[in-house]
Amino acid sequence: MIFRSARCSVCLPCSCFFLFFVFLFPSSPALGAESEARQRLERTINAVLTELNKPEFRNPASQPQVLASVETIILTLFDFNELSMRTVGPTWRSFSEDQKARFQTAFTNLLRETYLGKLNGYEGETVSYLGESSSSDGKRAEIQTSVDVMGKPVPVAYRMILKTDWVVYDIIIEGVSMVQNYRTQFQDLLSRGSIEQLIRLVDDKAGEVRELNRRQRAGS
Amino acid sequence: MVLRASPSRPARWGLLLALLAFLCGGPALAQTPPSLEEDDIFLEDTDARVPDPLERWNRAVFVFNDAAIDYVLRPLHNGYVAITPAPVRAGIHNVFHNLLFPVRFTNSLLQGKGLAAGVEMSYFILNTTAGLGGILDLSPYHAPVVTPDAEDMGQTFSVWGLGEGFYIVWPVLGPSTIKDTLGEVGDSFLDPFTYLDPWVGSALVAARVFHDLDRVLDLYDDMRHLAVEPYSALRDGYIQYRRAKAAK
Repeated sequence: MIFRSARCSVCLPCSCFFLFFVFLFPSSPALGAESEARQRLERTINAVLTELNKPEFRNPASQPQVLASVETIILTLFDFNELSMRTVGPTWRSFSEDQKARFQTAFTNLLRETYLGKLNGYEGETVSYLGESSSSDGKRAEIQTSVDVMGKPVPVAYRMILKTDWVVYDIIIEGVSMVQNYRTQFQDLLSRGSIEQLIRLVDDKAGEVRELNRRQRAGS
Repeated sequence: MVLRASPSRPARWGLLLALLAFLCGGPALAQTPPSLEEDDIFLEDTDARVPDPLERWNRAVFVFNDAAIDYVLRPLHNGYVAITPAPVRAGIHNVFHNLLFPVRFTNSLLQGKGLAAGVEMSYFILNTTAGLGGILDLSPYHAPVVTPDAEDMGQTFSVWGLGEGFYIVWPVLGPSTIKDTLGEVGDSFLDPFTYLDPWVGSALVAARVFHDLDRVLDLYDDMRHLAVEPYSALRDGYIQYRRAKAAK
């Protein structure tokens, strides 16, 4: 309707441009059978959102309890062993059993603290499910979602793998794979230093983020 | 924005651009992130890295930019945010964005995305007229047939099959590749500010970059909090982000 007033009937380029006027209603997302992977993901995300929307989350005194229950929910969704192997890459084979265990603990702490830190800024964002695809053997799946951050949709995809249950092994935000990003960093560090140094750096970083979260929570 | 062609020496610039384009002649790199099918545990066959022959220089500039952000840009930007009401800032952002319409429109066409170009054109006319010269962004109220993806010439070159060349960190302007730098040069010819008086034009370009710093600063903070090795994290994040945008 706004355009009608702007229409000029004589000028040819203008009429060509009007061919481009293509505002239509968005097509509704296809509703098909939901895969087990998606159900599992949706269940977990809903459980987390339920926790975060509780009034207790807004109350500084009871917030730690809410965060603790979120943590329990989240830890079951991610496969930290798979995540550790994927972020380290082929060098994982030269880690001793003890180093593997220590790396996994440090990296799990880092991811957990990072995630909990993100929740501090939770402002009622909503998640919508856009679609999914799966590998030909049916063992891996990617669930595409969109998170609404201050009116701007941010694409977030979850890569999942079928173990005893479906678990997440990578998160791809705006096309940036978290696993690949850490892999690049870790390979860089491993090419310049030792496995022990890598473990110490990851451990230090986890401590740093934990401290940052603590200060943010105290300050908010 | 990085290199501005001076009309008195077009031949020299032409030669330089041809040389840079030659550097991008390598094959386009592996898709990142890998497809679900080949996303094996150790990914030994996929090489997602971008060549970084200038790593020593890049790391030095990275450290410089880090300090520039902390000690100059962030304090200035915080001051600006403190004295300018949010609606005014949103309006200024919208005007800048609207004026860059030729970049998005032309690159959509160059990539063969006719519908996206049409949507950009619709938004431009809508925002320029009903949106009071671009102060209001009315696009969120009109769902388009396709969502345009802020096309730029770096993405156009990718669509045409040009490789990235190599990674380069520019002072203040931050991470880029040879291909994206060439893209910036190309886009500057589609930027109305280029055709103003050089002093006014440069000031407006600087104002635009400064104005839109908030998003950059947020991303930068995030990256610095999460990264164990910030230099490689930013390089990989930039490359993955640009490749994903080019693939869309």
